Amino acid sequence: MKEFWKRFSRNKGAVIGLLVLSLVVILAITAGFIFPGDPFQSVGKPFEPPFGEFLFGTDTLGRDVAAGIVHGARTSLLIGLIATVLAVGVATIIGGFAGYYGGWIDDILMRITEFFQTIPSFIFALVLVAILSAQIENIVFAIAAVTWPPITRLVRGEFMAMRNREFVQACVVLGMNDLLIIFREILPNTLSPIIVTGSLMVATAILIESALAFLGLGDPNVMSWGFMIGAGRTFLRTAWWLCAIPGIAILLTVLAINLVGEGLNDALNPRLRNQ
Amino acid sequence: MSRTKNKLVSQSHTTTKAGTDSVLESQPLHRSRRDFLKTTGAAGVTILVAGSGLAAVREASAAARKGGTLVHLIQPEVPTLATYLSTSSPVSQGGTRAYSGLLEYDFDLNPQPSLAESWSVSEDGLTAQFKLRKGIKFHDGHPLTSADVKYTIMEVLKQVHPRGPNSFREVQEIETPDEQTVILRLEHPAPYMMTAFSSYESPIVPKHLFEGKDLRNLPYANAPVGSGPYKFVEWKRGQYIRYDRFDDYYKADMPAIDRLVQRSIADSATRTAVLERGEVHLTGFGGVPYSDAVALEKLPHLEVTTDGYEMFSTMVWLEFNTRKAPFDNQKVRQAVAYAMERQWIIDNVWFRFGKVATGPINSNIKHLYTSEVRNYEVADGLEKANQLLDEAGYKRNADGVRFEITHDLTPYGEEWQRFGEYVKQRLDRLGIKVTLRYEDVATWLRRIYTDYDFQVTSNWLHGFADPVIGVHRAYHSRSIRQGTVFVNGSGWSSPETDKLMDDAGVEPDPKRRAELYKEFQQLVVEASPIAWIHEIKFPTVYNNMFSDVITSPLGILGALDRVHLS
Repeated sequence: MKEFWKRFSRNKGAVIGLLVLSLVVILAITAGFIFPGDPFQSVGKPFEPPFGEFLFGTDTLGRDVAAGIVHGARTSLLIGLIATVLAVGVATIIGGFAGYYGGWIDDILMRITEFFQTIPSFIFALVLVAILSAQIENIVFAIAAVTWPPITRLVRGEFMAMRNREFVQACVVLGMNDLLIIFREILPNTLSPIIVTGSLMVATAILIESALAFLGLGDPNVMSWGFMIGAGRTFLRTAWWLCAIPGIAILLTVLAINLVGEGLNDALNPRLRNQ
Repeated sequence: MSRTKNKLVSQSHTTTKAGTDSVLESQPLHRSRRDFLKTTGAAGVTILVAGSGLAAVREASAAARKGGTLVHLIQPEVPTLATYLSTSSPVSQGGTRAYSGLLEYDFDLNPQPSLAESWSVSEDGLTAQFKLRKGIKFHDGHPLTSADVKYTIMEVLKQVHPRGPNSFREVQEIETPDEQTVILRLEHPAPYMMTAFSSYESPIVPKHLFEGKDLRNLPYANAPVGSGPYKFVEWKRGQYIRYDRFDDYYKADMPAIDRLVQRSIADSATRTAVLERGEVHLTGFGGVPYSDAVALEKLPHLEVTTDGYEMFSTMVWLEFNTRKAPFDNQKVRQAVAYAMERQWIIDNVWFRFGKVATGPINSNIKHLYTSEVRNYEVADGLEKANQLLDEAGYKRNADGVRFEITHDLTPYGEEWQRFGEYVKQRLDRLGIKVTLRYEDVATWLRRIYTDYDFQVTSNWLHGFADPVIGVHRAYHSRSIRQGTVFVNGSGWSSPETDKLMDDAGVEPDPKRRAELYKEFQQLVVEASPIAWIHEIKFPTVYNNMFSDVITSPLGILGALDRVHLS
């Protein structure tokens, strides 16, 4: 663990990223204390500029932009995390089986994966949300549904490489159960690339959610950064802060997650470890 | 494609150079050299004319008033020009130019002469007589006579027009004793019918071209032949529709402009930009977003008006599903109606393009509207609402919540979403916990008008020029027609209001009719099956190089025959 931190902190960007990300996480957790009540509630006159009575000003209906940012952080992170966990879970199972067994199982599973991979992912997400209706669960599902194929292929590749290693073959010779080999022997050894990809996937998920909300397909009951930008877009010329502030929030968060992902990659990548 | 477009636009520019100045500033700077030469040429002429004395100047300004090309932006794209088959806004904007109607209307919706130079309705309301002008011609040179009017009403409007069968339902037969006289014989009086003779509502079509053919499959659907101010020239699909001035138009000296070009642009930001740049001169009915209209109004070369929608009487409201709890309870409906701050909604969601609504009949319809109804737009609305909810037996629980509902949003754009968010946070203060639901248009329509699977939805309807045509459909028990859209979705009706509507529909005496409708309005507003929010005042944006653009309550759906260069 100490070694891990040493490697991680060698990457300055990653440390900054982690700091920013921690700040966002803290804001998300304490949202209810900092801005109690519904962020949709109007608190002042519409279009109050920022750094006056309200830190980030108010929007078209007099809602506090700062409250929106803090509550939106909660939505964005939650969606990012849950969608990623879902996608990585599905990808590990499908990719694991395909890589371990090979042959016709691999063929079938990979053709299914490729089928999903050939559909343009954002358009697919749009269609899913449009069909299932814009509720937060459906949005999470749609994001997971479009992000799992690339992770699946990665997991499959790792498993295929591991499959013929001696320690795995030894397990087979010992008569070990396939499931045990997959989950207890191979999976722990392929975890680091999965974690790195997964961490980057969180950023992708946040971006997809923002884009959906921007196009008016977010959950209208949940405050999110994409929703704020979408609602403020009309007033780009008259009230810049409505788009700029949530835009900066998305930028910083996604950047931070990417930096942390890089750092994780440095810290976990076995090839670097051997250098 | 861009060549043709450029040409059309540049012609409009050159023709205006002689008479305008401020427009010059609004023209795009990157003009071709040919355009530049044309411009200087035209300017040269002006200088010469101006130099040759006062009389010549007057002549020049008269000449400046003539000519010009008006580019009209239609949103959304025009599907067909058959206004006798469809009354949708793009079809009407695209096709109405080619047609005339028996009557026109002033802004108070009083009939004015058009094809008919005089008209009369018998005292019993069972006969309407129209006297046509002499010498009216269709665009193909064929004279327009009473036979065309009879054919249009009996064979076209009563058969295939969306509203014609309703507007002319009482017409039993039409007599045409001579070429200029049309006599409509009615079964019952139909006072509303007199509002339905505009070129938009009842375009007179040429019998000699239409008769004996399949009306739904005519070549004239997309190449209209009428007697209107502009003659159809060509339609380049996806690019433009071109009309030229009809020289034999029955109003002498009209229209003053040479050409009318209609274009469609899918992207709303581009629409705003081309108006700003002066590439198009006119748009309305949602052509630009409300927020952009506010910004465009500040530009020197653009004017924004909300006139020209009096004939549509469009209203925004919240519609309750009165079939099930909690909105089967009148007090709950009234509470929600009291909680809404209509003026705030107009100011902040619709950018001031609206007027507070008080009941089912739009205040445009001055002779039938009454404000003497229960007033829901009061300062202490929230207290009143809380009190009503207490009386209705919906007490607050430990969390301060009385009950939870789902509010459906009209899927027609951003302002509806903002409106829904307002409703949510406002009802929250009454202890009503609201979940918003936003679906696509087809799903929403099915939910409201077929499955009745909703509690409260935002909605809007055109009330048109007479309650029989636009208002009855939302309140009459006969209009609770499962599967038909934009009728009575609330499911509310009462025998008294049904009878009042039926009686008012056939009441020839205007005073008596107004009394019937007054009682109707008072009863409906009390029952509040709908919380009326506001009467939309759509913005029409036009370039002020043109004058007299909006001269009728039909606005951009009118004839546009008076428009001329400023």
